[in-house]
Amino acid sequence: MHALIQGVILGILTGGVYALMASGQTLIFGIMKVVNLAQGAMVIMAAYLSYQLFTRFGVDPFLAIPITTVLMFAFGVGVELLFLRPLRREDKSELSLLVTFAVALLIEGVLSVTWGTTYRSINASYANSSWTLWGYQITVVRLWAFVLSLVALGLLFWLLNRTRFGRAVRATVQNPQSARLLGVEAQWVSALGFGLGAATAAAAGSVYGLLYPFYPGSHYDLISRLLSIVVLGGLGSVGGAVVAGVIVSTSSAIVAATISPAWSEMTFFVILILVLLIRPQGLFGNVDRGAI
Amino acid sequence: MQQSNRLWHRGGVGAVAVAVALSLASCASSSNNSGASTSAKSGAPLVIGASVSLTGDFADSGKAVQRGYQLWANGVNAKGGILGRKVTMKIVDDASSPTQVVSNYQNLINRDKVNLVVGPFSSLLTVPASQVANRYGYAFLEPAGGGPKVFAQNLHNLFFVQPAPTTKSGDVFADWILSLPASARPKTAAYTELDDPFAAPIAENIRARFEAAGIKTVYKQVYPAETQDFSAIMSKVVAANPDILVGGTQNNDAYAQVKTLVQLKFSPKFMFLSNGANSPLEFPSKVGPQNTQGIMSAGDWFPGSTATGSADFTAAYIKAYGGTADTIDNSSAEAYGVGQVLADVAAKTGKIDNPTLIATLHQGTWPTLLGDLRWGPDGAPSGSFNLIQWQGGKLVPVYPSAVAQAKPISPKPNWGG
Repeated sequence: MHALIQGVILGILTGGVYALMASGQTLIFGIMKVVNLAQGAMVIMAAYLSYQLFTRFGVDPFLAIPITTVLMFAFGVGVELLFLRPLRREDKSELSLLVTFAVALLIEGVLSVTWGTTYRSINASYANSSWTLWGYQITVVRLWAFVLSLVALGLLFWLLNRTRFGRAVRATVQNPQSARLLGVEAQWVSALGFGLGAATAAAAGSVYGLLYPFYPGSHYDLISRLLSIVVLGGLGSVGGAVVAGVIVSTSSAIVAATISPAWSEMTFFVILILVLLIRPQGLFGNVDRGAI
Repeated sequence: MQQSNRLWHRGGVGAVAVAVALSLASCASSSNNSGASTSAKSGAPLVIGASVSLTGDFADSGKAVQRGYQLWANGVNAKGGILGRKVTMKIVDDASSPTQVVSNYQNLINRDKVNLVVGPFSSLLTVPASQVANRYGYAFLEPAGGGPKVFAQNLHNLFFVQPAPTTKSGDVFADWILSLPASARPKTAAYTELDDPFAAPIAENIRARFEAAGIKTVYKQVYPAETQDFSAIMSKVVAANPDILVGGTQNNDAYAQVKTLVQLKFSPKFMFLSNGANSPLEFPSKVGPQNTQGIMSAGDWFPGSTATGSADFTAAYIKAYGGTADTIDNSSAEAYGVGQVLADVAAKTGKIDNPTLIATLHQGTWPTLLGDLRWGPDGAPSGSFNLIQWQGGKLVPVYPSAVAQAKPISPKPNWGG
């Protein structure tokens, strides 16, 4: 029982990290109807940036987040302008799958050439620390990551719901034509939206690098999990991504503790299949219009 | 030994192709078996052929093997060669491919008429390569193919130049634990094993020994290679509260197990990791140097070893490639050991040819920088690895006492100490 509760605690904390990673992806889909297969690679890229700042300049991975956020935002805008904008409108969703996958491979290749293919991890002094609470261990990194995820998601929520830009984004999501008629520059909303999605990968990358060893190919594992979280939460719903992130990582922890760790990786996909059978639009998805 | 042979799984298609290639080769070569008869002309160079993975998945380890062979040849030549003959290494690239390795050895033997051949990197490549060598009557000393499939071939010409087959590399830990007096001997053990032919069987061999000796198994878990988060597994280890934790690990999973245990604040009295913890540079950088103290692993060669030729090897390596003894890949030492055995046979018998090698090496004990080696009829070495332990930030051999440079620290101190 102790092991189960311990597993659930860590599962919930990890869920926050997944939520952060998935929020960027679901945002990009919501705005642009683009399934961004490069989101995992962008997280790994941010992890490398954070690793480099830490090993080279001694910048704490959490403090590095503002720097990497700016870099990743610029990178995201660049990808949108260079690779996604030229796609013709009618079959953009389908083509974007290929294009973003190509971007993922490109990122993987550049990372391999730059840092090699051996595993790296960010070993901050507190990487292995934990607090004891009623006999349960709360790992420092996961707790901060969880808090950080909540803060980042809060900021995202504020940006989308309380600012002019957010209103423009939501208008574009709900009805791109009407938004354009009302003077919203949908093209720029797309570029900035993609940049914003990429920027969430910055915080996620720092946290990922602190929690797990990573190498350029780590994004394959990551993207399959992110996709199942995003689909479970409902494509385009940031709130859904948060709930889904916590659900899958907690249930994966429960399965590992009660049945076998061999099955826990599968939990993601079993849940995904069940959701698609019972509620194809996901937990918070909306079939008629986008939802954020 | 470390990253040995992660690509075994993929070998299915390759194996079929190899079988076809071999059967064709056997038809083509039945009339020509003379390649093995080594010219004993004194003064002619002794040409030794090897196929090594200079590109592809095993490139890093393959290059380390190449360095070992070349260092040995340079050293021998500086002392006048073998029986007055200069040694020339003919090394070709197999791109880590089990089909290319077959063509390479056929070419080395038939076309280049090399005098001797030595092995490639990994069990995956050693199996087909050793069959080619066997067909032409060549002895096959190999530094890096220690998997069960290598010895299951029962080849009389094959000699694995390491102290023991890979799956038995952890047995030395069992030897040490069972040598402790009853009062100090641990009572319970947990096993966490990576589902990989070069990881889980090492832990399973230890478990069999421990259970037979009455050490109770309180937890055992095999995990798939994709496992990234060890919280759940390690939480269960903590709940089981074992005296010993045996990890049948490769690399990353070893680091993750240690990190997770530190976070969960559980330090077993004894901890053995089959791989990962035997890497002098990577391990402390991944888990934090302060957390390495007392962790055990197994190894053959280690920096500072006093075994035969180790000092020469280390000095030559650093002179040729720079760095420190800690940066030397064990695969280089193992390849160097292959050369040492060849030279030793020549010194003992006054001959260096394939029939002599095959006839001689099945008997006796052969001192190398990896320790004293001896072989069974299937080419499996019957010695044992050294038990090594992290002490004060360094890997130190602690058992058996013949090679020990320090006493084992037991029980393992708490994390950070």
